[in-house]
Amino acid sequence: MGALDAQLVPAVDGVAYGLLLFVVAAGLGLAFGTAGVLNLAHGALYAVGAYTGAALSDGTWTGLLLGLAAGTLASCAAGVLLSVALAPLARRGHLAQALLTFGLALIGGNLLIEAFGADEMPVHVPAALDASVPLLGHRYPAYRLVFCAMALVLAAAGTWVLTRTRAGAAVRATADDPGMVAACGIAPRAVHTGVLAAAGALAGAAGVLGAPIIGPGPGTADTVLMLSLVVVVLGGLRSLWGTLAAAVAVGEVQTLGVSLAPDWAPYLLFAAMACVLTLRARSAPLHDPAGASDAASAPAAPGPVRRLTTALHTLTGAVRGAAARVPGPRLRRGLPLAVLLVLLAAVPWLLDLYSVSLAAYALALGLVAVSASVMTGHAGLPTLGQTAPFAVGAYTTALAADAGWTAGPLQLCAAAAAAALFSALTGPAVVRARGTTVLMITLALGELTHTALGGMTSLTGGTDGLSGFPATRPLWGAEPLADEAATYGYVLVVAVLALAVTLMLLRSPAGTLLAGIRGAEPRMRAAGHPVGRYLLVAHIGAGTLAGIGGALLVTVQSYVSPADVGFEIAALALLAAVIGGTTSVVGAVLGAGLIVFTRDWLAGVWPGHGPLLLGVLFVLTVHLLPQGLAGLRGGGPAPAKEPA
Amino acid sequence: MLELDAVSAGYGGGTVLHALDLTVPAGSVHAVVGHNGAGKTTLVHTVAGLLRPRAGSIRVAGTELAGRPAHRVARAGVALVPQGRRVFASLTVAEHLRLAHRAKAAGPWTPERVLALMPRLAERRGHRGGQLSGGEQQMLALARALLTGPRVLLLDEPTEGLAPVYVRRVRELAGLLAQEGLAVLLVSPSPALAVDCADTVTVLTSGRITARLAGTPLRTDPEPLHTALSLDTAGPTGD
Repeated sequence: MGALDAQLVPAVDGVAYGLLLFVVAAGLGLAFGTAGVLNLAHGALYAVGAYTGAALSDGTWTGLLLGLAAGTLASCAAGVLLSVALAPLARRGHLAQALLTFGLALIGGNLLIEAFGADEMPVHVPAALDASVPLLGHRYPAYRLVFCAMALVLAAAGTWVLTRTRAGAAVRATADDPGMVAACGIAPRAVHTGVLAAAGALAGAAGVLGAPIIGPGPGTADTVLMLSLVVVVLGGLRSLWGTLAAAVAVGEVQTLGVSLAPDWAPYLLFAAMACVLTLRARSAPLHDPAGASDAASAPAAPGPVRRLTTALHTLTGAVRGAAARVPGPRLRRGLPLAVLLVLLAAVPWLLDLYSVSLAAYALALGLVAVSASVMTGHAGLPTLGQTAPFAVGAYTTALAADAGWTAGPLQLCAAAAAAALFSALTGPAVVRARGTTVLMITLALGELTHTALGGMTSLTGGTDGLSGFPATRPLWGAEPLADEAATYGYVLVVAVLALAVTLMLLRSPAGTLLAGIRGAEPRMRAAGHPVGRYLLVAHIGAGTLAGIGGALLVTVQSYVSPADVGFEIAALALLAAVIGGTTSVVGAVLGAGLIVFTRDWLAGVWPGHGPLLLGVLFVLTVHLLPQGLAGLRGGGPAPAKEPA
Repeated sequence: MLELDAVSAGYGGGTVLHALDLTVPAGSVHAVVGHNGAGKTTLVHTVAGLLRPRAGSIRVAGTELAGRPAHRVARAGVALVPQGRRVFASLTVAEHLRLAHRAKAAGPWTPERVLALMPRLAERRGHRGGQLSGGEQQMLALARALLTGPRVLLLDEPTEGLAPVYVRRVRELAGLLAQEGLAVLLVSPSPALAVDCADTVTVLTSGRITARLAGTPLRTDPEPLHTALSLDTAGPTGD
């Protein structure tokens, strides 16, 4: 009894935490279910509310109410902005929209830090609530009890609107069939905007009220986004009760779980998410909403964007025209690649040492990007989890080097084998799902790996990572790689070999089979092809490539930490693949180069604005390059037919 | 009431409808009959604003609607009963009616009046769209369309897959609604349905009109319609 009694406070805390997550996650789920937007900026909406509330809080009721009004309004406005930014992408599917929201979240996060500083902000609750009250023989913070009541009111009001009003019916109808909603005289676009505004307002209100629980700081947006994603996935999208139960469960894991089993709590969430998704993938995938295919109300891209795109196409048209004068189709195809290779080989002579090491890092990231492109573009499984095999490869290499295995080929083989094994084990969970569910499963796997690496301190060095191991030798008996230029040369040779093998495989009949699955999966099944097995092989292959990328990362950096393999890197890898045109191998490498150039080189010119610049890159890419660099080269609307 | 003038429409690179002319006066039923792939649903979707026409004009009571988004077309008085019913699976019958009914449109249709016309729906008020039978869903799709206060009613294969009792009910309702002053455009592969309730029958072949027939004489002798339709099967053009 005594042990139970001691857990009372964390248990009640868990309820408060859960209710907070419910209010936030309900908005995220609503936006996904209705408008088909996987809103990766949802955590940023919470952060806007939390910062506003904290800035206006001064220990009085007026401060709290003012903060609540201002925070709710600010996040609501941010939701409307988001909807406006997403409108031109209405027909482009979930991937482009998710990337755009991630870019806007990066920009928003950077602006928040600019405005409020990089430290966690203190929150002053009204004096009357800043006390503890007796609760079943314990003292408990009064504010948290009041917060529970307010969160319940918010949740009840939201539920009432959704289930009992005409506006709520319109929202649910839009989730079912936006075309028919339009035929009833209601603009689905207006419904989508309303949903994003309401989701923003809910997140903002939750941010103001919840600031004493999940306070405003640089990591707030990510924490809130990850936890609400877990809640949405566990609760499903069909019922608010499911979401509530999942939210309270996650809240309890975060409080009671941490208090009871501190070592296991971090894994529990993402493991549960991965399990639920895997089990649900077969029967009822997360109900891919119809919002994206809403042809009727989706307007064409607005003037300026279209003009810019046309300008870009004209520009590249001139280049294509020049290329067309070169004789022979083989030469014409091979020439840009040859030019690129010569340029890459000349990098150590052209650039300064810092830029050379950046280029080497970009090649390592490029392999992850290509692996994401193999999964997303070729196998048709959009992934946010290729950082997991990347991490496995990187840590394997670091541990191998630490154990004295410094020969490059040995490290590469070990990294590749470990990553392949990892992908073989996780593959069955990934290849059963389709569409956005894949994004979520792979995200869960990536986060799980990331958390595990941070937690296994004795093996991985925890959040500090591994360092101090001997440098890689390019071959047995060779001298260790001493300077940037030598390292770059080694990385370039390995990357080119790995990419050449990848290209050969993708152009072989195996690549054709993947194209068949992507284009007409039922038909491939009907023709007797074991689709699941093919996709598993593709997943293992992509994982192996990412593992090699991880080995190169360790060679380049001489250290590795969980920050090198986090969610942001996964999103960057996916963005690089999209920049390249999702199916183009060379394009993905170029995309990775562009990203590293933006994040590390440009940000060096304008310090402290790396995320902002990256965010702008995200936004520009999804708006201006619907088919990526490959689309610019070919001009045709058939990226599926271009394996390279 | 509804006038189509040289309307062309299609998807991607292909053209499905080629310069179609069509007029449906208020208070009449106009049936468009054609085989699969003739462009019937494309025609309905184009009129409803779900598909933007490539060229031509679509007017309702003199107002130009071509190129407007679907919700504006609906507000201008065009209601759609789509192929396959497309009721909202997660909304109850009562919510369908509430969603579609716009007090401002203030047509003669109220939820009470619609339910009086379709008593089966009144019994199922609290059931979700996904729980209804095919016939009930068809009634619900019709009720939903009527409550938007339409002047033009588009019926896309309204008897597809229905029990005979509901087929009869749909025929009766089409006639009844025309008597109320609606312009009804009915699209169906079935010549029998067209003959039963249409004032004018148009035959659509590969996106072109190949015959226009008055409805009344067909009721005693449907042969001309059958001839026009079987001519289609003899020589369809390749698109």
